[in-house]
Amino acid sequence: MAQVPVQTIHRDPQLFYWILIPITVVMILTGVLRHYATVLMATAPKKQELPAIKEQRSLLRGVNLRANANVISAPSFQARKDYLVAAYESGAFLKEPDKKGQAAPNPMTDPAAMEGMMGMMKGNMAMIVPQTLIMGWINAFFSGFVIIRLPFPLTIKFKSMLQAGVATKDMDPQWMSSISWYVLCIFGLQSVFNYLLGSDNAASQMQQQMGQMGPGAGAQMFGPGVDPDKQFQAEIENLNVLAHHYTLEGVEDRLLQTVVV
Amino acid sequence: MLTERELQISPIVLESVQHNTKTLTTLHNLTASLFGVGAGILGLESYPGFIFYLVFSLLTSALVYAFRVRPAIIKNSISGGKAGAGIERYFMGSMELWTGGLFEGLSGFVLTWTLFYGLVRA
Repeated sequence: MAQVPVQTIHRDPQLFYWILIPITVVMILTGVLRHYATVLMATAPKKQELPAIKEQRSLLRGVNLRANANVISAPSFQARKDYLVAAYESGAFLKEPDKKGQAAPNPMTDPAAMEGMMGMMKGNMAMIVPQTLIMGWINAFFSGFVIIRLPFPLTIKFKSMLQAGVATKDMDPQWMSSISWYVLCIFGLQSVFNYLLGSDNAASQMQQQMGQMGPGAGAQMFGPGVDPDKQFQAEIENLNVLAHHYTLEGVEDRLLQTVVV
Repeated sequence: MLTERELQISPIVLESVQHNTKTLTTLHNLTASLFGVGAGILGLESYPGFIFYLVFSLLTSALVYAFRVRPAIIKNSISGGKAGAGIERYFMGSMELWTGGLFEGLSGFVLTWTLFYGLVRA
């Protein structure tokens, strides 16, 4: 089998100084800027009314009791359970006790929900605006340059992706144009940001997209449109089926076992 | 595997496990970029480059195991801790220690590999 000769393209070394390095530096600085913009734009959580806080905290109290049930003795667990179940059932913790049993209000009309959507929008803007700007900048100044070669072979399908803006039929798909270098930077700079800004930074676009898929459980729990009375009923059920085993049961025997005479 | 009762007696704190995982991920991300620098300077192409990455990130995991996890397990079993269950006490399972960082670091590796290969060779 004939060996395919390796394509060599003679490039001006100035390409590195005026294309490759500027794009990389701008990508890193944009990430840092995005991180600090996100930090500065983050609004402090709005103060809530006392009954609303009471409703949320008492539900959390049930959850915590369930999670840590085994560290308290059986009588005290029973006492806490009885109190919580009775209060949940009567709706004593509800924000509006007289509205028990009614349907939840429409989330679109709730002003608190709009607040949350604004925050999400801000996060999206912080991601989209720089991306568009840099994409336009690269297109305007650097389109049509072949700047670097990937060190591993690729199939011909990658040609249109890697050589965007370079219309050459016979060039090896390993060669990359400046836009492809930008795309590679988006994916690869994660570790640089981790190093520069700490591991829960807001710089990376990858992480932003991940975050959108699964927002925290806390937001879901007290989100608009969820009927708190239903949550209380579910919590009653959870507490009732919990099997309680006290951790300190038989602790004397376990201690004596470890004593070596 | 730990039984539920043993877990209650000597619990595994989820926050600590998450902290361990985070530290390991940071280490893998950082070293992956450095391995990319190495592979690029050595001028490795296609398979040798990826094998280089695989070998060295497994070596990183092995060093973490040998110097951090193993002594802690031994110390735990000497001091009479019954729940010495190995890696499960420190990570979400042994797979996370060995292969957890491989895919996260790969993109950083490819980036620096390409950059330094381009700078040195091309």
